[in-house]
Amino acid sequence: MSKDKDKDKAKEQVLVRYGISRREREQFLASMMLPGDKPEVLGDLVVLDASYANFSGIIAASLFAEFGAEVIKIEPPKGDPARKITPYGARVDGVGIPFLMEARNKRYFELDLETAAGRNDFKKLAAKADVIIETYPAGQMDEWGIGYRQLSKENPDLIYIAITPYGQYTDKAKDLRNLPDSDITSQAASGLAANIGDPDLSPEPYNWPFRAGAWIGWYISGLEAALGGAIALTYKADAGQGQMIDVATSDAYASMVGYPVFIGFTWEKARPRLGKHDFTLYPYGFWKSKDGIVAIAAPRDHDFRALLKILKIWKIEDDWRFTFDRITDILEQIERLYDLIEAETVKYTSDELITKALQYSIKAARSKWRGGGVPIVMKVPTPSEAMQNPHWKIRESFQEIDDKKLGKFIIPANFIKMSESPPRVKWISCGIGQDNKYIRKKYMSD
Amino acid sequence: MAGKTEDYFSYTKKLFDPSKINEKPEVFKGIKVLDFSHVIYGPVAARILAQYGAEVFKIEMPFVGDLWRFGVYWGKFWKHSSVCFHFVHFNKYFLSINLKSPKAKELIYKLAEQADVVVENFAAGTAEAWGVGYSQLSKVNPKIIYLSCATYGQYGPLRFFPGWDLLAQAASGAISLSGYPGTDKYYKLPDYLGDYFPGNVGALALVMALYHRKNTGKGQYIDLAQSEALMRTLPNFTYFSVTNQELERVGNTDPTMAPSGIFKSHDGKFVALAVATDEQLTGLFSAMGQKKLAAEYKNTFDRLHPRTARELHRITEEWVSSKDSAEIVDLAKEHRFAVAEVMDDFQIANDEWRRQRGSVISFKDDIYHQFVLPGPSAMLSKTPGRVKWLSRPLGYHNRYILKTFFGLSEEAIKKLEKERVIGYWDDRPGIKPPVYYDIEKDPIFNYKG
Repeated sequence: MSKDKDKDKAKEQVLVRYGISRREREQFLASMMLPGDKPEVLGDLVVLDASYANFSGIIAASLFAEFGAEVIKIEPPKGDPARKITPYGARVDGVGIPFLMEARNKRYFELDLETAAGRNDFKKLAAKADVIIETYPAGQMDEWGIGYRQLSKENPDLIYIAITPYGQYTDKAKDLRNLPDSDITSQAASGLAANIGDPDLSPEPYNWPFRAGAWIGWYISGLEAALGGAIALTYKADAGQGQMIDVATSDAYASMVGYPVFIGFTWEKARPRLGKHDFTLYPYGFWKSKDGIVAIAAPRDHDFRALLKILKIWKIEDDWRFTFDRITDILEQIERLYDLIEAETVKYTSDELITKALQYSIKAARSKWRGGGVPIVMKVPTPSEAMQNPHWKIRESFQEIDDKKLGKFIIPANFIKMSESPPRVKWISCGIGQDNKYIRKKYMSD
Repeated sequence: MAGKTEDYFSYTKKLFDPSKINEKPEVFKGIKVLDFSHVIYGPVAARILAQYGAEVFKIEMPFVGDLWRFGVYWGKFWKHSSVCFHFVHFNKYFLSINLKSPKAKELIYKLAEQADVVVENFAAGTAEAWGVGYSQLSKVNPKIIYLSCATYGQYGPLRFFPGWDLLAQAASGAISLSGYPGTDKYYKLPDYLGDYFPGNVGALALVMALYHRKNTGKGQYIDLAQSEALMRTLPNFTYFSVTNQELERVGNTDPTMAPSGIFKSHDGKFVALAVATDEQLTGLFSAMGQKKLAAEYKNTFDRLHPRTARELHRITEEWVSSKDSAEIVDLAKEHRFAVAEVMDDFQIANDEWRRQRGSVISFKDDIYHQFVLPGPSAMLSKTPGRVKWLSRPLGYHNRYILKTFFGLSEEAIKKLEKERVIGYWDDRPGIKPPVYYDIEKDPIFNYKG
């Protein structure tokens, strides 16, 4: 009798936790979260993107466009050189892959800021704009008479975002104002490159600082620019005032994760590169399995114990019991543990390891004796393999674009799910000056 | 035209002056945030609101505390605290309430009635099970903005899988992008970037939701999946769908620019150099004194072909190795191509430019004294972000908040303490105050009110 009651209670708890039924909860959330014809946050906002050969600006503009703003990409007649920044020169209809992927919900307007007529037109547009994004050398727009100083006189609630490697103020910014921006220099200057790569004594060039294989510098800068812009929009709605936002891409990584700064301060040294090891957590990285590399995360003590159990090497538990036994500061020591683990992981296929870890976790979650260890093993996928998971299909994380001119391709989209006003991709298009008429009529006819 | 205009850089210096930050207004003043989140991913989103003026109430379990209070690099605690924890938790109020007790729930619901934002990053469904999910709190306060952060999101077959930054990197495919091709060398993105980046995306979502609420009066539920936020940054999926080829590890170069890479200069320093446009290529070749070569490589797309890119890489490598890094930077200033020296932790923490700019802040805290932490990379001229205090020991603001916000009496608080509804630290570093600090004399911890 009491056992039945316990069972009922357990069942009830499961129901509370998982909703009425799994499927119903899934369907409910899915219908609640996707864009459909929900309102857009920035529906009536105009953003001018005058960025030049700089994806930070383009990405920031994309984020505004996904949240519903009317984004006008301003380009010289030859087009923004960013159109040609693409892996191995891969392109669709003459447009590079990253530019294509970021061509979300945007309008394209031809305008040559190098000419007086172009600058005049820009001024006219700027009077109607809420946000301006530019990436010219610091002071260049000001010299042209279309910088924040001049534009804000006529349009005091203008939000003006300038993105450069070293910002708009300080002596260094002035000294290095002519340096163009790139992702790899942003990674190098902001402390990312210095912390990737093999340890000191490894053969060259593997022990060199290393570039992360994605546009980390540019995406961080773009995101921070949009975030700053959104905060400024809030202030504009409250106080009716615009402001200038200065993004330095050489700050990107250090400002986001903070580690380089506070380790440089508290430890008074730079970290050496650790290769495949992590600075704080262990085991937390890559190991070999029978059929390829797996990622293993089991850093907390109970996770680690669980990992030892499923790999059947409990006998070494005594030496490595606590987090503080597994600190990665003595490289030889941690390599020993690495090898001990790898000697076992290579005996199994990745699927076997994943199953073992999952089964253990499920059992551990229900047992009060196992201490709740959750070791996690995942196969290291290539992006296209990662994309295949049906999970993303249900969440519509990827969107297939079928454009008459550009053909069929896939972009990552719907990256924030919101119940009232989610961001979305409505169209992709990127012809140079394709919306000239529309923009002249809508914003410049008076 | 005015006769004499002020120099641009002296104008911007006044506009952004870091010494005036504390005199400027805060955007989110009066916004209340209930922060159930832990480790990095959720807390960062809440902290960004705190940086711009929101009151963030960080809820932790008494005597347990946030896991990241113990997340120290190489076991090094700093004044009995974790430096990383300071960075993800500054400007917050630290409440230690045991959510398992019904009395605590009363307090939380009272807080939720007046809160504007809730942030959590438990496994999907856990917050609901504890009675603080969106379905429950939106009943208490229909205008609430609720951000759920999870590695895989709140729905879909993978949602119950636990996650770390590493696994978000794996699930998004970002994990397999860094390394040398043809070897088994893979590097993950270091320093939990897989937590920080999505955390910042979460902050963007919150700011947008707050903006939407300002216009329409409606709150909402936000489901943020760490992996999706990382996927948004990768061109690899589009590349694959267009070319049917995998864009994989490329070694120490950027395949979107040629030449590009991290090179070693004559004086043994590492220099990143990249050429994105034709103008920059001309600049680089004229700096090399080989202007004629520019014509040979004038087609941008052809330049990116692996064979040509390797050739350009070799030419650049040779040139960089013959010059000192300072020389290269000087030439870059003149000829306009992208160059940056590789900066390590120590250089960044002590960088004069960053100190002047305010992207590295020297901050004096009441409890922890001198600390150095990063400022934002986006500086706002009128409403800048700022640091007001660092993180605090577990339950530090209990008394202060219970008295000022809930209006509880000293007796009532003592009763809650006795019933273990609220609690404090035990003797572990990470959750207790530093040894030199006399907590008994602290005016906020012992708030009399």
